[in-house]
Amino acid sequence: MNVLICDDSGFARKQLARALPADWDVTLHYAANGLEGIEQVLMGHGDLIFLDLTMPEMDGYGVLETLQREGLRNKVFVVSGDIQPEAYQRVMGLGALDFIKKPAAPETLSALLKQHELWQAKGAATAHDIRSTGQSVSDVGSLDTGIKISPEVRDVYQELANVSMGQAADLLARLLNAFVVLPIPNVNVLEVSELHMALSAAADSDTLSAVCQGFIGAGIAGEALILFHDSSFKDLARLMNHQGVLDRNAELELLMDTANVLIGAFLRGYASQLDTPFSQGHPVVLGQHRPINELINTNKSRWRRTLAIEINYRVQDYAVQCDLLLLFTEDSIATMNNKIMHML
Amino acid sequence: MEIREFHWLMNIVQNLDVGLVVLDKEYKVQVWNGFMESHSGRLAGEVRDGVLFELFPGVDRAWFERKANMVFKLNNRAFSTWEQKPYLLRFSNYRPITGSAPHMFQNLTLVPLADFGGQVTHIAVMIYDATDEAMLMSGQRQT
Repeated sequence: MNVLICDDSGFARKQLARALPADWDVTLHYAANGLEGIEQVLMGHGDLIFLDLTMPEMDGYGVLETLQREGLRNKVFVVSGDIQPEAYQRVMGLGALDFIKKPAAPETLSALLKQHELWQAKGAATAHDIRSTGQSVSDVGSLDTGIKISPEVRDVYQELANVSMGQAADLLARLLNAFVVLPIPNVNVLEVSELHMALSAAADSDTLSAVCQGFIGAGIAGEALILFHDSSFKDLARLMNHQGVLDRNAELELLMDTANVLIGAFLRGYASQLDTPFSQGHPVVLGQHRPINELINTNKSRWRRTLAIEINYRVQDYAVQCDLLLLFTEDSIATMNNKIMHML
Repeated sequence: MEIREFHWLMNIVQNLDVGLVVLDKEYKVQVWNGFMESHSGRLAGEVRDGVLFELFPGVDRAWFERKANMVFKLNNRAFSTWEQKPYLLRFSNYRPITGSAPHMFQNLTLVPLADFGGQVTHIAVMIYDATDEAMLMSGQRQT
């Protein structure tokens, strides 16, 4: 079976792919917006589609409408952070099989797939596997807390991020003597639970490491987080021109240095456009001294949603892949919005 | 800035409990504050215009150049923690009698210093004493 994950956030795509049952025998395909999604469907890559609602080019509703109009009977699960009752009614009316609240937990997904007879657990199912998926839709009320960002303002952030990224890629190319595949930054409101899931994945996996670094300047504060996916330390060392033995300490230092460079390159451009210099703190490899799960639990109550700029870095000819997330505190958003208003 | 304020600031830099070194692109020492004088035993006048690696042959040159390069080229800070690299310059423990560490553990921050045209011509190295933290951590690990 061909399964398509259609979401404009690379972070969200990976998140979902990781949450699918490991023993599920399917081929995964990805699309970054509705139009790409439809193209993939026409190529036969969408027997089952996990569909985000808010996307550029064509949104999730557009995809569902197109499928309906063309008489295509692909199975669609809508995966969205925005689960207001109208949205739910509307996508179900457009023929979606079910509605999954973002971020989708592995247990929710496997229960849902089982319910729709798309996947069977090998071996006995454990108790916590069986959980009602309807429950997710019921806590709609709590979603209205936290920040709101209008589409116009989001566009400005997007533009800021694009320009910063261009400058960053140029700087990095000169420093590293390697071609950084220019990614398009993604500006989104991130649910804190999405972040928790990504961090827990980093805690569980040997091939996923997370480095964070705080930054602050003139009323704007935040934290940059870099997730390295299956990056080979040998390639990182080659990229960063690291000589000598590659022991555990050297590996940690490499992670911190790479994170610092990638974060610094982007922040520099971002800061110059906002006309606010940032100071960056020491980078820290997460989970080194305290288990990541502990960190997550401590911070659980502090915030729910935040503005996130997400950049998926790839470096040509090196097995180096990472996601950079810039997360801003809620009180920084007001200051940044003010600065942005002057640019409009 | 008033000349009086400037004078104060210079005094503070001199007395700061953080090591401050300014290096040019050839790694020649331009500034060496009181902390550095006290802990290295070399006066500012002695080290000025000397190349860091020649003054202190114990410095891991390849490692430091790689760090500094990131600052010069990227106009961005660079960091080093005692856990990965215990020190840049081997200094004695600040508390020679009651301290149990064999030397001072150091955290480093490298900061770009740009000229008026925005070109990074010098870097400032700040050396923080992280010995207490290091001792606390290693103590925790043993228990």
